[in-house]
Amino acid sequence: MSSTTSMRVPLPASSGNAGRSREWRVWAGFGRWLTIAIAVTVVALPLSLILFQSFLSAPFFMPNKTFSLDAYRFVFDDPDFYSALKNTCAIAFGMLFIAVPMGGILAFLMARTDLPGRRWLEPLLLTPVFVSPMVLGFGYVVAAGPVGFYSAWWMSTFGTEAAPWNIYSLWAITLIAGLTHVPHVYLYASSALRNLGSDVEEAARVSGASPFRVAKDVSLPMVMPSLLFAGVLVFFLGFEVFGLPLVLGDPEGHLVLTTYLYKLTNKLGIPSYHLMAAVAVLLIMVTFPLVLLQRRLLRNAGRYIAVKGKAARQHALPLGAWRWVALAIVTLWLIVTVFVPLSGITLRAFVSHWGVGVPLLETLTLSNFTDLFENDSLVRAIVNSFGVGILGGAAAVACYTAVGFAGHRRNDWGSKLMDYLVLVPRAVPGLLAGLAFLWVFLFVPGLKEFKSSMISIWLAYMVVWMAYGMRLIQGALMQVGPELEEAARSVGATRGQTSRHVTLPLIKSGLLASWLLVFMIFEREYSTGVYLLSPGTEVLGALMVSLWATGAVDQVAALSVINILMVGAGLAVALRFGVKLHD
Amino acid sequence: MTKLIVEDLHLSYDATEILKGVSFHLKAGEVVSLLGASGSGKTTLLRAVAGLEQPSSGQILLDGKALYDGAKDINLPVEQRSLGLVFQSYALWPHRTVFDNVGYGLSLRKVPQAEIKQRVQKALDQLDLGHLAERFPFQLSGGQQQRVAIARALVYNPPVILLDEPLSNLDAKLREEARAWLRELIVSLNLSALCVTHDQTEAMAMSDRILLLKNGKIEQEGTPAELYAAPKSLYTAEFMGSNNKLSAKVVSVEGEQVKLAGDGWELNGLARDWLTAGNDAQAVIRLERVRVVDGPGDNRIKAKLITAMYLGDRWEYLFHQGGLRFRAYGGEPRDAGDYWVEFPANDCWVFATA
Repeated sequence: MSSTTSMRVPLPASSGNAGRSREWRVWAGFGRWLTIAIAVTVVALPLSLILFQSFLSAPFFMPNKTFSLDAYRFVFDDPDFYSALKNTCAIAFGMLFIAVPMGGILAFLMARTDLPGRRWLEPLLLTPVFVSPMVLGFGYVVAAGPVGFYSAWWMSTFGTEAAPWNIYSLWAITLIAGLTHVPHVYLYASSALRNLGSDVEEAARVSGASPFRVAKDVSLPMVMPSLLFAGVLVFFLGFEVFGLPLVLGDPEGHLVLTTYLYKLTNKLGIPSYHLMAAVAVLLIMVTFPLVLLQRRLLRNAGRYIAVKGKAARQHALPLGAWRWVALAIVTLWLIVTVFVPLSGITLRAFVSHWGVGVPLLETLTLSNFTDLFENDSLVRAIVNSFGVGILGGAAAVACYTAVGFAGHRRNDWGSKLMDYLVLVPRAVPGLLAGLAFLWVFLFVPGLKEFKSSMISIWLAYMVVWMAYGMRLIQGALMQVGPELEEAARSVGATRGQTSRHVTLPLIKSGLLASWLLVFMIFEREYSTGVYLLSPGTEVLGALMVSLWATGAVDQVAALSVINILMVGAGLAVALRFGVKLHD
Repeated sequence: MTKLIVEDLHLSYDATEILKGVSFHLKAGEVVSLLGASGSGKTTLLRAVAGLEQPSSGQILLDGKALYDGAKDINLPVEQRSLGLVFQSYALWPHRTVFDNVGYGLSLRKVPQAEIKQRVQKALDQLDLGHLAERFPFQLSGGQQQRVAIARALVYNPPVILLDEPLSNLDAKLREEARAWLRELIVSLNLSALCVTHDQTEAMAMSDRILLLKNGKIEQEGTPAELYAAPKSLYTAEFMGSNNKLSAKVVSVEGEQVKLAGDGWELNGLARDWLTAGNDAQAVIRLERVRVVDGPGDNRIKAKLITAMYLGDRWEYLFHQGGLRFRAYGGEPRDAGDYWVEFPANDCWVFATA
């Protein structure tokens, strides 16, 4: 080996004087603070508008508004509010008691046992997460409503006057909400169970525990934090449900807080923004603590997983003959929550009319779809939905990445602020966020032109799903070992160069996966666009909400199928490329 | 010529003080090892020199220029220190080829493409990696990855190279070869190197000088021979080599000569500490200094051999004597039974019990 004789190469930065390089670093830091400032603005501005509006006596654009507590007084005097609150609590607790045990059992069966057909069951189980609740709601109405396909089939088969179920009752709404949220619990419980190494279970087996004792004494206690987290999540989602109670609760007049807020829109004849703001503030006062609680629990859950064993090889627990019983239970759940609504809405999209005694084969038609294309606003809705999913999804991922980098491997107050900031939109149901953004576009001078462009929809979507997107991005960033970045710094790369040359290339596939997931979420979204809906900003989800109210069932059914296909395409691509659908 | 000076460096995480005033010098062409148990602060010290940790006070000077100076509020960012750092995990960038991994530091320095190509190739050839330039890190063996990591840190000729446990990721067999290879490389390229290790054999083999750290302070500093043969404290004596530790009472002290007594035995030793007759003391003697002998004599104890363990190049014996347990090496197998064992007085270091 020869000894080195070549000259030492100084870094370009260190060859200049120290003052210049310091100045450069100030500029590099400026980009980060700008990102933080923008993020704070887009999150805090709409929220503070809601708060501000709730303390006014009239909508903020009215000349005669004054500061007062009238809005709260009105709401607290309204018997409908109490009935909505009662129903919301009933639904939230019902969801908790249905979804958590079912999700836990499902997770155990899928992750730990030799249940037949686990491979093809997995994507089916997740369907309710990705299909819009509005679509599921429509599906239940046309499939199992008083004159639904399956109700008609039941009546003609058994010769009864009516089907033995009533999907418009509060019980049915609670049951359906509970069943459709089983996958949320399943996701967290199963990933915790999969992270759990077999060794801890094998240690229990060696000590003399039977497989069921192992589950009871070792596996389930170890995933308890995840179940607890999922429970709080489901309870929280119970306060957010909008689509299902809007569709199913309407016929019998069952209101929940979100639908109560929606119906307030025109309660007094004029836009009653102040009343809605008051309800919104009350709702956020419930949801925000729940979000903080979730964050706490998620941290603890992570700490628990840190003591996991090696997740190398896992042995499935043999169920014996019980496997068929288990499969029957899973299949029954799938039929009720996936097959019934989706088959119903799909069938509805392809028939012109139906009823007791009408042979369905003779009414089959494609006209529901061909008619769509004669309506400009419907075509625009389809194009816009794709646009906001594909382009908007990419732009949103870019924003989330920028925010992610602003907090990455830093431990100053800026990154702590971002940590909490991204949680805030999580506590605001999409319906409220959309409303708040509408106000922003009305209120802030110079933004009015954007109100009727897709930018308003995209901005609202981006902020509403910020917490979700940030979790995806941070998950990807955490995969990059700190020493890979430190190595770049040590050979002379600045923070910015390290991010561009090392971190970003390494999280590329994570970003693509995030894009796909954000695409699906944006296609599924329906409540955020409700108040932003105007000629030019039609998106499928929000348009279906307003079409349903006008009774245009043909169009809603056809659009639902198109919506399902969009999400399904995303899901198929995700499965094809092995994207993890959850963390 | 002194390359690197660290003066009274302090560093804390939150409330815990990790470095409590460390000072040392690294001369040009010298290899210094930071040795210590886990939690002693050795890796933190190395990372502070690299600029990856933020000290709270003190100074770090490279060629007389301050990299860090707590009093003057100077803290050069990592990338402007131009040091070479080899990570314990190697930290090769998985999305870049070997060539791109090694060449990155040069392209950051705006070296022309043709020169980058030539210099990277030269560095890779020096480390016998010339044929692997187009491979990706995951296609390399552990030993090759280690050499790529070293090439990456050397290619821009840093004034000092920092190595964080460079051998700990290799399997035991490879480690000894790599140790010799690394020492040869450092010597032949005349590098100035600061190396972190927890393995005393590695530290002794690799370095010109060793800094033994204990709880964020330098316990003892010196050549490997000084640390091994003339430990100044009980901690150093115990950290280096394989030792027998005997608890006893001091019977008498005469200059350096100490007489110790235990449960049914008496030994003479060398005082390496301030001792007072009647107090408790610890005697430390290296395993290889204890000798099994034929009969009684000075500084000999009769003890019962419990078992003899074959180590390949020698045997290790385990003796019991009353409450005393000690081990010794020897060249031949021995049956269990009573033997006379000698503890040469000059190798029997006596320290006061704290």
